[in-house]
Amino acid sequence: MDKQRDFVLRTIEERGVKFVRLWFTDVVGTLKSVAITPAEVEGAFAEGLGFDGSAIEGFTRAYEADMLALPDPSTFQILPWRGEIDPTARMFCDISTPDGQPSLSDPRNVLKRALAKAADRGFSFYTHPEIEFYLLKSSKLKNGAPEPVDSAGFFDNVPGGTAHDFRRRSVRMLEDLGISVEFSHHEAGPGQNEIDLRYADALTTADNIMTFRTVVKEVAIEQGVYATFMPKPLSGHPGSGMHTHMSLFEGDTNAFYDPSGHYQLSKIGKQFVAGLLRHAPEITAVTNQFVNSYKRLWGGDEAPSFVTWGHNNRSALVRVPLYKPGKGQSARVEYRAMDSAANPYLAFSLLLAAGLKGIEEGYELPPEAEDNVWELSDAERRALGYEPLPASLDRAVSLMEDSELVAETLGERVFNYVLLNKRREWKAYRAQVTPYELESNLEIL
Amino acid sequence: MTRAPSTLTELARLGFAELGETSERLGELDAPDLVPYFASAANPDQALRLLMGLRAVASDHLIPLLADTEAAGRLVRVLGASEGLASFLARHPEQLDALLEPLGAPPTAADYSDDLEAAVEGLSGEAAWVALRIRYRRHLTRLAAWDLEHADPILALDRVAAALADVAGAALDASLLVARRDAPFPPDQIAATKLAIIGMGKAGARELNYVSDVDVIFVGEGSEGLADDRAVEIATRLAMLTMRGIHELATEPSLWEVDANLRPEGKDGALVRTLESHVAYYERWAKGWEFQALLKARPLAGDVELGERYVAAISPMVWSSASREGFVESVQRMRERVTEHIPASEVDVQLKLGPGGLRDVEFTIQLLQLVHGQSDPRVRQRDTLSALVALADEGYIGRVEAAEFGQDYRFLRLLEHRLQLSRLRRTHLMPTDLEALRILARATGLATNADDLAEQWQRTKHAVRRLHERLFYRPLLSAVAALPEDGLSLTSEQAVARLAAIGFRDPRGALNHIAALTGGVSRRATIQRNLLPVMLQWFAEGADPDYGLLAFRKLSEDLGEAYWFLRMLRDSSGAAQRLTSVLSGSRFVGALFERIPEAAAWLENEDELRPRPLEQLLEETRATIARHADDEDAAASALRTARRREILRLALAGIVGTITIGELGHGLSDITTAVLTGALAIAHRYGDGIEFGIIAMGRYGGAELGFGSDADVMYVYRPAGASDEEAQQRAEQIVHALSRLTEDLRIPLDLDIGLRPEGKNGAIVRSLESYRAYYARWSLTWEAQALLRARGVVGDAPLLDAFEELADEVRYPASISEQDVREVKRIKARVENERLPQAADPARHLKLGRGSLSDVEWFVQLLQLQHGARVPGLRTTSTLEALAAAETEGFVDAADAGRLRDAWILASRARSAMTLWTAKTSDVLPTDHQQLEGVARLLEYPPGSASRFEDDYLRVTRLARQVFERRFYGDSRPGSRR
Repeated sequence: MDKQRDFVLRTIEERGVKFVRLWFTDVVGTLKSVAITPAEVEGAFAEGLGFDGSAIEGFTRAYEADMLALPDPSTFQILPWRGEIDPTARMFCDISTPDGQPSLSDPRNVLKRALAKAADRGFSFYTHPEIEFYLLKSSKLKNGAPEPVDSAGFFDNVPGGTAHDFRRRSVRMLEDLGISVEFSHHEAGPGQNEIDLRYADALTTADNIMTFRTVVKEVAIEQGVYATFMPKPLSGHPGSGMHTHMSLFEGDTNAFYDPSGHYQLSKIGKQFVAGLLRHAPEITAVTNQFVNSYKRLWGGDEAPSFVTWGHNNRSALVRVPLYKPGKGQSARVEYRAMDSAANPYLAFSLLLAAGLKGIEEGYELPPEAEDNVWELSDAERRALGYEPLPASLDRAVSLMEDSELVAETLGERVFNYVLLNKRREWKAYRAQVTPYELESNLEIL
Repeated sequence: MTRAPSTLTELARLGFAELGETSERLGELDAPDLVPYFASAANPDQALRLLMGLRAVASDHLIPLLADTEAAGRLVRVLGASEGLASFLARHPEQLDALLEPLGAPPTAADYSDDLEAAVEGLSGEAAWVALRIRYRRHLTRLAAWDLEHADPILALDRVAAALADVAGAALDASLLVARRDAPFPPDQIAATKLAIIGMGKAGARELNYVSDVDVIFVGEGSEGLADDRAVEIATRLAMLTMRGIHELATEPSLWEVDANLRPEGKDGALVRTLESHVAYYERWAKGWEFQALLKARPLAGDVELGERYVAAISPMVWSSASREGFVESVQRMRERVTEHIPASEVDVQLKLGPGGLRDVEFTIQLLQLVHGQSDPRVRQRDTLSALVALADEGYIGRVEAAEFGQDYRFLRLLEHRLQLSRLRRTHLMPTDLEALRILARATGLATNADDLAEQWQRTKHAVRRLHERLFYRPLLSAVAALPEDGLSLTSEQAVARLAAIGFRDPRGALNHIAALTGGVSRRATIQRNLLPVMLQWFAEGADPDYGLLAFRKLSEDLGEAYWFLRMLRDSSGAAQRLTSVLSGSRFVGALFERIPEAAAWLENEDELRPRPLEQLLEETRATIARHADDEDAAASALRTARRREILRLALAGIVGTITIGELGHGLSDITTAVLTGALAIAHRYGDGIEFGIIAMGRYGGAELGFGSDADVMYVYRPAGASDEEAQQRAEQIVHALSRLTEDLRIPLDLDIGLRPEGKNGAIVRSLESYRAYYARWSLTWEAQALLRARGVVGDAPLLDAFEELADEVRYPASISEQDVREVKRIKARVENERLPQAADPARHLKLGRGSLSDVEWFVQLLQLQHGARVPGLRTTSTLEALAAAETEGFVDAADAGRLRDAWILASRARSAMTLWTAKTSDVLPTDHQQLEGVARLLEYPPGSASRFEDDYLRVTRLARQVFERRFYGDSRPGSRR
C-alpha cells in the first residue's frame, strides 16, 4: 500500500495532475465523484475525506452526515479523456465511519466482506463480465423511441461505422486505464455493442465495470453519440445483459475444474451452480434492479427467464461453457441474468454468497436443461421443475425481502436501503399511465 | 569390562538419570577423573552419551581435550547443554580445539569481524559460506562454554546477548565480503557501492538470542562517481548474496534467518534504498509501530559511516512519533500485538508471548520510551535493560520496580537462552515434562529441580503481569503528588502525554482529577495513591474514561474518609474494578452516585446487587410512613430517597450483569409499587369514606419497566360511607396528592393516566361502578386491549380484586368478532404510521419501530383477546409469559416465537442501556458511533463493536417484523410497507 501511495504522489507531481477524482459507488450503483486538488491527496490518504454520508445511501437518509472516503492508491489512474490539457486522475475509495470502522453501507465494503468470507474458506473469486450497451444518436427520443446509430447485427463489421471507431477508441482508453479487454464486437441489436473485460478478482472487476461505464459514456460524448446501459431501451430488440463468468480458486487451483467431472465441472463447481440456481429468484432484485430490467428478462432473445442450467443452452440461466482441452484453469460458469445496469459490487457479492451457500450446504445440482426453455409450454416447464425468475421488480423485491442470504450478505443497512429504494421505484412506476394503455384502451373503453 | 567407577548413588548425586547405562558407559570411557565434571552439565546423561559418540567418530581430536580436565569439563558442559553444538562438533571434530584453551570474556565486535573475515579469505561461493558458518559456530561454541561456566549465568546474560549480536554482525560482514567477491558486476563499481546493514530488533539493541531471526535494513549509496540508482542495483544484489551466505542451504547448515521485512513497505518494498529514500518514506508514511521498530536501529555491518548517517537521520523521527496523529491507535495496535492470538495450548508455556512474558516487559518499556523520549534524549536507549535503568534514573519509573523488573527480564531471557541453546532452534516454549524442566533448571542454575523452577517462573510471570500498571500508571501520580518512593519526578507535561497515549480525551482534566484524588496526607489519599494506577488502567479500558475518572473523584470526595470505602478500595480489587467499569460506562449511575455515594459498598457484595423482594420494600415503606407519621414532606422525601437507592441498585446490577432483563422489569415495577404504596398511605387515610386503588397498566402492569419508563396507571375508588359526590371529590384529591408526593425532579416518576377510559378527555379517576358502566356501554377494543395489562397494585385489596374481576370480563371476552380483530389490526397499522415521530427511521425506533417492542406486544395481545377466555396461560399481564403460553398452545411455532422474544428482549435491553449510558431517555437507536459503542459495551459487546451491535439489532428486529407481518396482518403483502 505504501509503495502505491508513493507512486501516486510521485505520479501526480511528474504528470502535473491538476485534479484527482475520488470515486465511490452508491447503493444503486451510481458512480459518485469528488474532485480534490493534488495538495489534498496526501491528507485524503492519511485521514480520509469527509463527506455527507447520505450521498452513498441513495436518497434514503438525510442524516448521519459524516463519512470518510479513503482513496485506495492501488486504483490510481490518469483519466485519458481529459487529454493533457488539464490532467485528471481518479482513485476508488473505501468509505468509513468517522471512528475508522469500515462503513457498512459502502457497496465496495459489502463486496470486500463477501470476498473475505470466501477467503476464510480458502477461496478467491474471479469474474469476467460481457457488458452490452446501446449506442444511440442522442439521449433524445425520436417518435417516442431511442434512435440507434446503426442497424447492423451480431458480429457485423460496419465499414466506416461509428460503432467500430467507437469500440476501438473505448478499448484503447480502457487499456490506458489498465483495464484489459478480452473481446469486443457488434451485438444483435441495432447500435448494440459488447465489450468483454478480462478475468480479474471480483473487486477489481467491479471497479473496472464502474470505470468502463464512465469510459463508454465519455467516448460517446467525444464522438457525438450517446451510450446507454439501460437494460431494455428498444422494445423490439434484445436488451443489454451483463453475462458474468465466475470461478473460484483455491490457491492457484481452479476449484471448478475436475477433468473427470461431467463437463469437467468439479463437485465444488456443481454445488456452486446449484447454489446460484436455488437462490437466483431472491437475488434478482439486485442483479436486475430496475423496473426496466424485467422487460429484458422476460423479452426472450437469449435472456433467461427460468431457473435452469445447461451446457450449450443459451436459454439457460447458468451456462457451463466448454473449455479448451488442457485449459482447466479457465473452468468457469456463466450467470446470464444480470444486466448492464446492476451495481456490480452488490451483485457479485450475492452471486458469490449464493454459490458458497451451495457448497456449504452441499446442494444437489438439478438435471441439465437441454431444450430451449422458451419453447416449452408452461405445463412442460412445471413438469420439469423449471422455476421462473421473478416477472417484475415488485415480485423480485418481495422475494428478496424474505431472503436471509441477501440480508446477511448485504448487511442490514444496505439491505434496508435497497428495499426502500426499489419499493419507491416500483411505486412511481405503477403510478404511470403508459402510451400502451392509452393506445389499447382509450378508444375502446 | 572394567570395574564400575562409582556407585549408582554417586551417579544419581551427580545428576545422572539413566544410572545403569551410565555406569556401563563410564566404564567404557575409562576416565575416572572426568566423572565429577558431569555434575556441572545440564544433562549429564546427554553429555556422556554425546561424548561417547564423539569418541567413536573422532577419537584423535578428543584425546588432547580429555587429557586436560579443565578443557574436558568445558566440553562436558557444552555437550550437556546443547545437542545442537554437539552435532556441530561431530560434523567438524577438528573444531574441538576451540575448547582447549581457557576462555576469557567474549571478544569485541571488531575481533569477531576480523576473525570471520579471515576465515573466508580467498574463498568464494559455497566454500566461503561453509567456512564462514563453521567459524561462526566455533565462536558460538566458545561463547556457550563461557556462558555455561558461570555459577550464576544471570550475571553473564547481558554480555552473552551482546556478544551474540556482535558475532552475528561479524557474520554479516564476512558474508558481505564474499558477496562483493562473487557479485557479477565490474569490480570498480562494486567497490564504489556502499552498503550499510542496519540491525533492528534484538540485533540492533545488542540483546540477541542464541537463535533468532536477525532483523536488518539495507541502505545503499554510490561513491566515487557511481550513480545512486546503479549503486542501489548493485547493492541489492550484494544484499541478496549476503543473506544467502547466512541462510541459504549449503553443506554446513544455515545460521539463522536474515529478515529484512521491517524495511519500508515490508515484503513488497525495495530491498535496498538510498538514505534519502528511507528518510522520504518515514517522513511520509511510516506508522507508529514502524517507529517502534526503528527505536532499536543500529549500524550492524557493512559501511559504518553510511549506517551512522542513517541512524542520525532517522532517530529524530522516531522520537517525535508520539506527537503524531494516530499514535494512540498505534499504541493500541501494539498492545493487541502483545496480547495477539496464541494457540490456547501454548498460553501457559509461552515464554515470550504469554501473559507475563517477555513481550509484556518490552512493550511497556518501549511505550514509555516513545512517550518520554520525545522530550528527553536521556531515555533513548536501544536495549531493554539500559532503557529500564535510564527510565529509573530520570525518574519516569520507580527505582525499586526497575531493579525488580530488570531481574525478571533477565530471568526470562536466561530461560529462553538455555532452551534455544539446547537444540540451536528458535523456540519460546517452556517444556512441560518434568525431566526437561529438571534439565532446564540445571542448565540455568536457577533451581535444582523441576518444581522449584516452575514455581519461580510462575512467580516471575505474575510479577511481570503487574508490570505495566506499576511502570506505566503508577508514576503518573508523581506528576501531581510527591510520592514517598525514590526518584520519581514526572512533570505534568509528561503525565499528560502518557494519559493521552492511553485514550483520555482530556488528559489535563484527568490529571487534575488524579491530583485531587491523591493529594494530601489523608488516609484516603494514601490508599488512592496505591490504587489509582491500576484503576487508571481500568478506566482507560472503559467506554468513557474521562467521565469515569471524574465520577470517581466526586464519589471519593463525597465519601471522604468513610472507613468501609477505603477498606473496599484497598482490599477488594474486584469491587474497585466494578466501580471503574460502572463509572466509565454509565452517566446514569454516575449521577445517582452523587446522591447515594454509599451505594459503592454494594459492589463488594453480590447479594447487594440483587433486586430486593417486594415484601422487603413494602416493609421499609411502612416503617418510613410510621416514622414520619406527622410530616408528609419528610415522608415523601424518605420515599424518594429509597426509590433512588433501589434504582441505583438495579442499575449497578444491570451493568455488572447480576440480573436479567426480566428481573430488571420486575424490580423496577416493585420499586414503583413501593413508592406508590407509601404515597397512598399518606394521601388516603383509613376511614376517609372511600376505598381507593391504583391499577398498573402498560409496561408497569406487565412488570416490564425499564430505566426511564413512565408508569402507566389508572385510579379507581368505591364509596365506603361517603356520598357519591364526596367520594369522587375525595378520590380526585388523592390523585393530586399522589402526583405531588411522588414528584422527583432527578429521576422523574411520571404517573401516566393516558390509558384511562376516553383517554385524554376522560375523568382522571372513576368509581368501580363508573368503570363497569363505561365498559358495558362503550367498550372499544383498544380499551379491552389496554386492560390486558391492568394489574391492581396498590390500595384496598377488595377493590383491586373487584376491578380485576371486571377487567377480566372485558379483556378476555368469550368470543371476539372478526370485525373487532380487524379493528385491532387497523389501529396498529395507523399507530405505526402516526405515532412514529416525524422523520424517525422506523428501523431504529426501539418502541414503535419495525419489529421492536410494540410489534411484539400487539401480536401477543391480539392472541390474548382472541383466546384468553379459554386458555388460562394467556391470562397474564406479562408479554413474555403470554408469548410462552401462545407457543405452548400452538398459536405460534417455536421459531417464530423465538424471533419475537429475541427482538423484544434486545429492544428492551437496548432501551435500558441507552438510559444508563447517557442518563437520558430516548427511544431511537443512536446513529453516532461513539454513542452506539457505549450502548454496545453495556450490552456486553467487546470494545469496537458499534457496527456489529447495530447490525445485530437491525437483523433481529427485521426477522421479528417478518413474523409479525405474516402472523398479525396475514400473508397478503401490502404494496408499500415501511
